[in-house]
Amino acid sequence: MLELKSVTKRFGQTKAVQDVSLQIPAGSMVGIIGRSGAGKSTLLRLINRLCDNHEGTISWHGQPVSELRGKALSQWRATCGMVFQQFNLSPRLDVLTNVLIGSLARQRGVAPMLKLFPAEERARAILELHALGMSHTALQRCSTLSGGQQQRVAIARTLMQLPEIILADEPIASLDPANAQTVMETLSTINRERNITVLVNLHALDIARRFCPRIIGMADGQIVFDGTPDDLNASVVDAIYGRHVIEGSGPQAEAQNLLEAVA
Amino acid sequence: MAPNEALKAQIIREFEAERRVTLLRLRLQQALVLVGFSALIAACFHVSGFFGGSQGSDPWGRIANLLDIMIPDLKAGVIFEDRATKGSLASWFYDMPTWLSLLWETVQIAIVATLFGIFGGFWASLLASKNLSPSPIIHWLTRRTLEVIRTLPDLIVALILVAAFGVGPLPGVIAIALGTMASLGKLYSEANEAADMRPVEAVRAVGGSWWAQVRFGVLPQVLPHYASYGLLRLEINVGAAAALGVVGAGGIGIELSRAITYTEFDTYFALLILIIGLIILIDLVSEAVRHRLIGLESPA
Amino acid sequence: MTRVASLTVPPLIAAQEMEAARQIAPHLIDTPFAVQLRRFVLWVGLSALFIALCIGVDMTPAAFARGLTKLADFMRGMFPPNAAGGEVRILQALAATFAMAVTGTFLGVLGALPLGLLGAKTFVANPVLHFLIRRSFDVFRAIPALVWALILIVAFGLGPFGGVIALALTDIPRLGKLYAEAIENSDPRPQEGIRATGGQRRAAIRFGLLPEVLPVMASQSLYMLESNFRNAAILGIVGAGGIGFELEERIRIFAFDQVAWIVIAYVLCVMALDYVSEKIRSKLVHG
Ligand SMILES: Nc1ncnc2c1ncn2[C@@H]1O[C@H](COP(=O)(O)OP(=O)(O)OP(=O)(O)O)[C@@H](O)[C@H]1O
Ligand SMILES: [Mg+2]
Repeated sequence: MLELKSVTKRFGQTKAVQDVSLQIPAGSMVGIIGRSGAGKSTLLRLINRLCDNHEGTISWHGQPVSELRGKALSQWRATCGMVFQQFNLSPRLDVLTNVLIGSLARQRGVAPMLKLFPAEERARAILELHALGMSHTALQRCSTLSGGQQQRVAIARTLMQLPEIILADEPIASLDPANAQTVMETLSTINRERNITVLVNLHALDIARRFCPRIIGMADGQIVFDGTPDDLNASVVDAIYGRHVIEGSGPQAEAQNLLEAVA
Repeated sequence: MAPNEALKAQIIREFEAERRVTLLRLRLQQALVLVGFSALIAACFHVSGFFGGSQGSDPWGRIANLLDIMIPDLKAGVIFEDRATKGSLASWFYDMPTWLSLLWETVQIAIVATLFGIFGGFWASLLASKNLSPSPIIHWLTRRTLEVIRTLPDLIVALILVAAFGVGPLPGVIAIALGTMASLGKLYSEANEAADMRPVEAVRAVGGSWWAQVRFGVLPQVLPHYASYGLLRLEINVGAAAALGVVGAGGIGIELSRAITYTEFDTYFALLILIIGLIILIDLVSEAVRHRLIGLESPA
Repeated sequence: MTRVASLTVPPLIAAQEMEAARQIAPHLIDTPFAVQLRRFVLWVGLSALFIALCIGVDMTPAAFARGLTKLADFMRGMFPPNAAGGEVRILQALAATFAMAVTGTFLGVLGALPLGLLGAKTFVANPVLHFLIRRSFDVFRAIPALVWALILIVAFGLGPFGGVIALALTDIPRLGKLYAEAIENSDPRPQEGIRATGGQRRAAIRFGLLPEVLPVMASQSLYMLESNFRNAAILGIVGAGGIGFELEERIRIFAFDQVAWIVIAYVLCVMALDYVSEKIRSKLVHG
């Protein structure tokens, strides 16, 4: 169980995350929605400890993670994998090496610095790539891949960490509808088949409804909604996105309609 | 109509007056800068004794004289004869084996110094770039240290090092390597700061150490820049290494100063030709390598 | 499921999984012996080459250690820095070096202006000629000022004159190249505009080209002045006087406290010059 208790994060005057308390049982798939600047990315980065919270505690299975340092911190980061909107691959490294980066937390010594990874790790990387249909690109430079392919490589890298949680920060925001669908399905499958907890930030409401049994809405750094897609009625959506957004219009929804037409 | 016309005329007059004042102020400023600048130049010329006769009388005659004694009297008939024949090419370049081995030493000094400079510059750049430095204090200290080293000319450093290490190529290597480290450290840190931080963040999110972040996040991006800066520096260092021998720090420079002390000005000219040839050669090689690097860059 | 810190043991991959991966991409899992051998030979060869080069320049640990102990002695001798009553003399020498740098740069700029124009593609369109001019800049650029100074001081006698000429000769190809590039990189549109309104080529240069390239060229010349201040210090070693001469004299007699004083004064001057020049340059470029 991932547990947040009154977590607060400030950037100067702005409170990016404000007094957030949450309980997420292991193995669940949770979508986080909210308008730009609501604090979604910051929340995920706090959990992964890419940035530190000012108040409150974050714990995984009862063990607090906000105080970890050094080796324990890097092991915690390995435990919760991060998937980014811009994929964050090293563009000039080949696909296989990018995936092997996911194993760095358990490597020792200088060998990995010379790109020498044990055969077992390479085998695992290839299996993960194969499972995502990317093993044929193993020796290609990442910069030569399409966006959807890059995101799949990034997911393979995350799986390489053997994570217990995956934190995905708008993983489909820079993808076309068809690729977005594939990536969301992949995340969903990972959640079901490997029992990995998935937290995913999403802009598109419809996607959140379709893939996430539990949805959390954020506004101004606070949680304003926490429930099932069915609980997410028009007035709640108003509270999350402000008054002017009506569900089913705007570019996001249009992309969504297109996606459904394709599917 | 008349009062209107008068008003117009007055406005124009006022505008003209104002314009004149601004123009005057601008001109005055320019004149001041010009006078200050000329005074500075004149003072500098004076201090350098440029027209004060430190060059002796008849500078043009001296230049002509210099050129005259520098140019060897080759004789067309015997030009390909052996060393013993006066007027042959071989007697002009009379100590070729020594010179070639000194030229090779010059190249070696430049290569080894550049390698160590690249190595040192790489580590310094990690400490000196804002986005990678372990702490702001280290960042600041490294920057200042590199700045101070950059103010010291390599020959001055070599002079001190020759006193410590004795005559030979080693002090030259150290002097050039220091200068290379300082200037590449700066260039490399600029490349590091321009690097895309997203891959670095990914490596951090995976639980990778600082070393891993540098190795897999930054290095792949900046390595081509590092290589081409390093090669450009190699070209500069060959020239610098050619001068080092003058202070006893190895390379062809020792022959240059020997030729001067023994007033063999035609030998000096010969050595100059050899140095220029070497520089052209290094230039060509380095350019070819750089083009290959760029070629590797372009999407396959 | 309580394994926050349970990743210390490398994950063992099952034998059949290993097999499966081999099936997918055998060449990525088992490195062939030939490839390993080639890598090994490459590494050994490169290391041997590097070591040979190091030995060729006396870069051996023994020589290093010997020199370092002496250097440490020198360093100890540097504290506290002490001018030994020569403050005025040293400051005068610094001023002379600065004067040499300014004069040399000024002459270099004068010489580089016509050559820069000749080196610009926009003025000398003939590709062969252009190539030759630019190549000769590249070649002469690499000749250090000291090499010029050695011979010029013989010609003109001890003193700053030979040094000034040497600095100018060093600057001309460097500035020529920079000027040529500045001219080539200038925006052609203002000039075209003036030509289009019926202006002469001279007018196009005066009102189209100059306003654009002059600040750039001035800033490059200042940059050259910074570099010349360092070069001028060197020339004292071969008899051009100034700070280099003072420094060499004191190194010869192992008066390292005075060396330290001179070096500190010199470094401060260079930094001051760099600072001022940087300020002027940013003003020139950003108006
Ligand atoms: N590194 C930072 N420095 C300063 N302020 C920051 C930083 N990161 C985030 N913020 C601020 O924190 C608030 C929340 O940002 P966050 O990135 O978490 O929003 P978000 O919900 O992910 O938005 P988006 O949908 O646009 O990605 C914003 O006001 C943002 O300006
Ligand atoms: Mg965000």
